[in-house]
Order: sequence, then structure tokens, then C-alpha cells
Amino acid sequence: VKLSKRSAAVLAAGVAGAMTLSACGGSDDGGGGGSESGGSGQVVFGESTDFPENLFPLISAGNATSTANIEAQLFPQTFEVQPDFTVKWNEELLTEEPVSEVTGDTQTVTYKLNPDAVWSDGEPITADDFDVAWRMQRSSDPANGGCPELLSTSGYEQITAVEGTDEGKTVTVTYSPPFADWQASFTGNNSPLFPAHVVDAPTQEELCAKVAAGWPIADGIPSDISGGPWQLKKENIDVGGQIAVLTPNENFWGEKPKVARLVFQNIGNDPTTAVQGLSRGELNMIYPQPQLDLVDQVADLAPNVESEISFGLSFEHLDFNSQDPHLADVNVRKAFALALDRQQVVDQTVGQFSSDAEVLNNHIWKTNQPEYEDNAPAEYNAANPEQAKQLLQQSGYTLGQDGVFTHPQRGRLAIQIDTTANNPLRQTTIEVMIPQLKAAGIEGTFNANTDIFNGPDKPTSLIAGGFQAAVFAWVGNPFVSAQPPIYQSPQGDAVGQNYARVGTPEIDALFAELIRTTERERQVEITNQIDVLLWDLMPTLPLYQKPTFIAYSSNIDGVVDNPTQAGPLWNASTWTVE
Amino acid sequence: MFFFAVRRILASVLVLLVSSFLVFTLCAASFDPLAKYYNLNPRPPESFFTNLREQLGLNDNFFLRYWHWLSGAVTGDFGETINGTPVADQLFGRILVTGRMIVAAVVIAVILAIVVGVIGAVRQHRPSDYFFTFLVYVLIALPTFWFAALLKEFVAGGVNDLFGAQVLFTIGEETPGLSLYASGWELWSDRLGHLVLPTVSLALLSFAAWSRFQRSAMLDVLGSDYMRLARAKGLTYRRTVVRHGLRNALIPLTTVVALGIGTLFGGAVITETVFVWHGMGEYLLSNGIGENDINVVLGWLLVSAVFVVLFNLMADLLYAVLDPRIRLA
Repeated sequence: VKLSKRSAAVLAAGVAGAMTLSACGGSDDGGGGGSESGGSGQVVFGESTDFPENLFPLISAGNATSTANIEAQLFPQTFEVQPDFTVKWNEELLTEEPVSEVTGDTQTVTYKLNPDAVWSDGEPITADDFDVAWRMQRSSDPANGGCPELLSTSGYEQITAVEGTDEGKTVTVTYSPPFADWQASFTGNNSPLFPAHVVDAPTQEELCAKVAAGWPIADGIPSDISGGPWQLKKENIDVGGQIAVLTPNENFWGEKPKVARLVFQNIGNDPTTAVQGLSRGELNMIYPQPQLDLVDQVADLAPNVESEISFGLSFEHLDFNSQDPHLADVNVRKAFALALDRQQVVDQTVGQFSSDAEVLNNHIWKTNQPEYEDNAPAEYNAANPEQAKQLLQQSGYTLGQDGVFTHPQRGRLAIQIDTTANNPLRQTTIEVMIPQLKAAGIEGTFNANTDIFNGPDKPTSLIAGGFQAAVFAWVGNPFVSAQPPIYQSPQGDAVGQNYARVGTPEIDALFAELIRTTERERQVEITNQIDVLLWDLMPTLPLYQKPTFIAYSSNIDGVVDNPTQAGPLWNASTWTVE
Repeated sequence: MFFFAVRRILASVLVLLVSSFLVFTLCAASFDPLAKYYNLNPRPPESFFTNLREQLGLNDNFFLRYWHWLSGAVTGDFGETINGTPVADQLFGRILVTGRMIVAAVVIAVILAIVVGVIGAVRQHRPSDYFFTFLVYVLIALPTFWFAALLKEFVAGGVNDLFGAQVLFTIGEETPGLSLYASGWELWSDRLGHLVLPTVSLALLSFAAWSRFQRSAMLDVLGSDYMRLARAKGLTYRRTVVRHGLRNALIPLTTVVALGIGTLFGGAVITETVFVWHGMGEYLLSNGIGENDINVVLGWLLVSAVFVVLFNLMADLLYAVLDPRIRLA
């Protein structure tokens, strides 16, 4: 095809136009960079969740996985959740393990800060930073001087004082009543320490106004402040290109990063894009939601790419709504559980990813947590349709012509199992269950419910209670105070997160003790007692933990997936690139 | 022509108004921006929900909410996303991203469409016609995401292997962080290397359908009396085809291309996703619908609708230029 002169000119104009447009929109953030830091090489992390709009983790706008990943090593935390789900004190920030003491109704926790610990601008990290974190998060009630934008006040609302001695390097935090998860305070990507000299304000109202505004991504983090090995400078954020580049914090007192740049590039959740980016070397690490063909394709890239499947804290379970006439009867709930072969459910779902997948037999702890005990009565370990039928007959059900039980008052035993729309894993889970239930005379049906997580104004949401049974996930953690809302008896309309809407005074009493218990051994005892009782009450049936998937270029050394909220970048400062 | 343009613009404003109202109604009925917070464990305090509902204006009457949005939009304030970023700021950047991706692609596609269409018509039923027809139907039949994946796998892989270096890129607009430590030619060649594949992908897929329009329009014209007359007057074949034939045969293509460009500005959704360009299409899908964000969806609607209207208007005006018999009034 021969182009005339004029067409060639038009073509050239088009290309030039595109180039000019590139110039307009391109980032003007040259000049930054951290090559002077001594680290070498870079790692490009392909972020598959939405680019953050706000970098302040305490509010809804900053409540994003991408924010948590970027800030995994920016702000100091007193304790760090390890890949093995244990909690370890931060040996760089503190000089000794924090001590908790309970006397009567008060608990004091003492932190000894490293005298060398400073923010990136040279200001020392002191008790003031603990104090401001507390004042920001102690209440969400504006009438009480609280900030209503907060996602959580857990723990901080029980703090009565934060005192600094020893030039602020010894911090004493007082709780009343005692807080079971005291280790979770000033811990985690979502509630670390904040620099008081940057975030504090003269009055509580002004402080709350600052909390409400947060740190919009276009403005970066105020003063580019950091208290960890990495630093995110405003000039290194390209909002349009959805790229953020971390560089080493020159003033970090501990071990400095060995890599010159940690680059976050948003790549969306298309698995082919992620795999091809990895194989072309445009990405060095991905952490997508695992899908079967994605895992297989990445496996083909070995030995240039290493990958690993872990089982995280997020777990799928089946909720029984006790307001349903059938499921109000504990025998029906138990018959449902007896009918199921959960091993087969695992084999057909997460078992496809990894042979390590297991049936989850504890409502509170996950199989790979040290606190885990298998408390499930033996009859739930395999499909047990005969026993299920006996229980149903005890409750007055009779087997109908079509092989489904019916009850004189409650009618036919047909249960609709709701779940989120467009989730193949959950859909398969329910589809495997349906024939198992049928064998025990229970008719199960699948229903993709788009309103399932919506608010109380949508009648079929979990909160409103317009469902019979539902499959969805909770995210566990090494701490205990998030458990009571899920399993405590509902108080009137206040169901909390107990969507099964059933509980017992015995369980409630144990939870009441749990949330004030600060010793770990006792917490584990109580939670496992609660779990035994939950198996007998059967408000929910745990199914399996969901896998996490990490894949990275094999020239990066030191990568260890942390399948908790800490995320895959929890130890990025220790990585080296060959 | 001036009055024609004014009349068309006024009619378009009405269409925009009605469509924004309909979209607002649909979004307001189905979006629940608070949904993702109810199942955080532990659940945020009640005051969090009260505050957010108040802040997003969810407590207001439906018509009042629409009025707030509309009165803002008229003054260029498209509201904020649910996370507090002004929508207008994001839209502007996103149009540039999409624009960068489609400008070169459209120019290449139009030229290819005309050339291939004319060749197909002039050499109807010859091998070259059959060859291009086959090629074009293959391209039309190819799903975008697959074609893009093939380009990435084979073209990017092949070219990079050939040069023994990273020449073509498959993700984003530039190597992330490159502008921190590189400038000048290195930066520009990197951006060009990122631009090639999305451009090729968009250009080939758009050109395919367009060339069929051009071919049939050209065939129509070639059989007409004035062509025979022109030849009878003694004009060369080449001159009749180009001067008398092509000019007339461009009219149908103008409409199709104008509509196509207008729509592309709304986002070449799949191409953007596959090549990870953060343009208009991604904005609608992931930031708007994915986040239950009504202001994002409406902002997107307004801007992409304006482009559709604008390019339609341009097509109408171009008619008059191409065909002097048409008088717009």
C-alpha cells in the first residue's frame, strides 16, 4: 500500500498529536529518586486492587488494600503480625518487649522506645505520637469530642491515659476496663503510630477535621513523613498513571532497605495482563486473587518466576438464619451440616489450587494458627445423611414423595442458599452442596443475591435478614475482640454481625470474660470453649480458608508471603535483587 | 450552517439532561456506597454510617440530590467521589489518557479503511479484494481481549527477542518510575514503546469494519452515471476514481467514523483494561460502577456524551463540505 504525501502527513500529524497529548498528561515528577541511598535495583509490584484515593488509613477513603500495601512499612507499629500468624514485638522501634499488667479494673501497658527512633524529618518518636493516635481514635461520637469518620475505635475507646516519661521514650498506656487485644493497639497497617508534630492540632475539633480530610493522594503524605524503612515522597506519586514509588528513608535508624525503589503499579484484576507482565519482566511481583488458569500459567514461567499458595485468614462459611421457620430448629441446622461432605466441597473448590487445602473445623481460629483446635464433633467430618434424616424425623418432618422432607406446620424443607453474584468459587461451593443435601432429603437451591452485603434498607441483605442460608467470608485475625459481634446473642434489633441471629447466655458470658482477658493462654482456652459450644448451637458452619497467591521474579531474594492483613510487602525492606 | 449547529447543540443539551436524569435514577436506585462497610469485622460504629450518609447526601430527597448534582455540573463542579476526590480533576486526566491512546489509532484506521476499501471496490472480485475481505472479516470476528493478548504474546515477545531488549511494552503508558531517573530520548522512546501495541490493536480492529463501509460506498459510486460521464469526457481512470468517486464515497464513512470516535472517547474499555491504561473506560467500570459511585458515573456520562454529540456535529458539518448539494439550515 503506497501512501500519498498528504496521507503520510496526516498520519504523521496523528502520531505527533498522540505524542503531544502524552506530554500534557505525563507525570512531571522527574528529579526525585533514591539512587543516592545505596540500595540497588528495583521491584515493580503489580497492584491488582484499586489505586488509593486517600493515604490516611483510619477513614473510609483510605480503607483500601492498595493503601495498606503502600504503608506496610511506612509508619511504625508496636507489634507485627508474622506470616505464621503469631504476633511479634517490633525490635527496631522498641528496646524490650512491652509489658502489660492488670490491677483490678485497669490495665497498664509500658512501651520502651528505641532512643534512636526518629521520624524521617529527624523528630524523635515519643509518647506524643502514641498520645495523638489515641486522641484521634478514642471516640467516634461527635457529641463526645470524637471523630465520626473513623472506621474503628476498638481498644482506643478503653484507653484512659497515655503518659510519657524519660523524655517521652517510655510510654505508659492505661486501659479501663482491660483490653484483651492490647497488642493490636498502635499495630497494623490500619492503625500504626502517627507523627504528632505533623498530624496534631490545637483543639479536638481541628484534629477531627484533619482526620476527616485525611491525606488525599494528590497531596501525598504531609511533609512526606515516614517512620519506617521506606518513604513515599509526593513527587514520586503519579496519580494519572496510578504509580507510586517508595524510596528508602534516609533517616531510618534501623536496617535500611537494600533495594533502591519499590514501585507500585496498578494493573487491574485481569489475570492475563498480570501473567504477561510478569513473563515480559515489566512486573516483578503480583499478588492477585488466585484463579486456576492463572496459577497454572504462572507455574509455566518457572524457573524465572517463583510462586506460592498460602492459606490466609479469610474463610468461607455457611450462615443459617434462625428466623427461618425451618432453621430456627437446631435439629434442622445440624441435619444440614450432617448432610454435607465438606471434604468434597474443599476438593472441588480450594483443593484445586493446593493439596494443602483443609476443611476448617473451628469458628474462631484458622488451621494454620497456633491456637487452632479441631473442635468439630466426628459426625461432621463426612456426609452423614442417615443421621441427618433421623434428626429431621425427631423434629416432626416426614419424607415426601419427591424425596424431600416436609413438616406439618413449616412445610417443605426447601432452603435457598444465597451468596454474592459473580463469584465462581462460592457458586461451585453451593453447587457441590446441593446434591449432598438432596441425599438427606433437603432441597437446596442456589441464589446469587446482589444485595447480600447492602444496608438494612435492602430487605434481602444479611443485616435485614431476608435470607435462609448464605455463604460468605469473614476475615480472621490473630486477635479476639472482633469475634463477639459475630457470635453474641442479638439484643433485640441489634444483631451486630450475628446474621444467624442466635446465641446462648453461656457463650455471651464467655465472650464477656474474653474481652477483658489479657493473657494469651486464657484467651485461647476461652475461645476454644466458645467454639465447642458453637458446634452444638450450629449458627454457622465453617467451610474452608481462602488461598492467597504470590508470584515474583526469582531474582528477588527474601520474599515471604504474609497472608494476614500485613500483606506480601510486610518485609520488603529486607529484599535484595540480584 | 450556524443556525443548524446551534439547533443541534440545543437538542443535544436536552438529550443530555434526560439521559443524566435516567442514569441518576437507575444509579440512585441500585447503588449503595455504604455496602462495603457493613461487613467489615468489627463493623464501624453507627456514627460512621450516619456521618457518611449525611456527607454523601443519601438522606436527601431524590429530586434534591439530582438538583444538587445538576446545578453543580452546570458550573463545572461534578461533585466528589465517595472517597472525596473531585470528579472533574480525574475526568480531565482520564480524557487525556484515552485521547493519547485513540488519536493515532483513529488516524491509522481511517487511512487504512479508505485505502483497503477503495482497493476492494476498484478491484472487486480480484484476488486482492478476496484477500482483504478475508483479512477484514477475520479482524472483525476477533474479540478485542484475545487479539490484544495475541499481540502481547507474539508481537511484543517476538520484537523484544529480535532486538534482545525491551522495545515493546504491554502494561501502562510508561515504565513505572522511569521519569524519576531518565529523561529525553530514553523517556520518549519508552512512551512510544508503550503506545505501539494499544494503537495497533485499536487501529486494526476499528479499520476492519470501517473498510467494509468504504468498500460498499465506493462500489455504489463506481457504478453511477456521473462516473461514466467523467470517463466519457476523457478524464483518466485514476482521476475519476479519486476526484469524482472517492470524494462522494467518503460521506457514509464520515458518519460511521465520527460516531466511532465519539464512542471511543467514552473509553476503549477492553483495550484500556488489557493494556492497563487508566482512561475513561476504566473510570466508568471500576471507579464508577465498581465503587457504587453515582457522581463518577454521571461525570463519565456527561463527558462521553459531549464527545459523541460533538463528533456527530462535526460529521454533519463535514457532509456539507464533502457534498456541496447539502445545505444545512
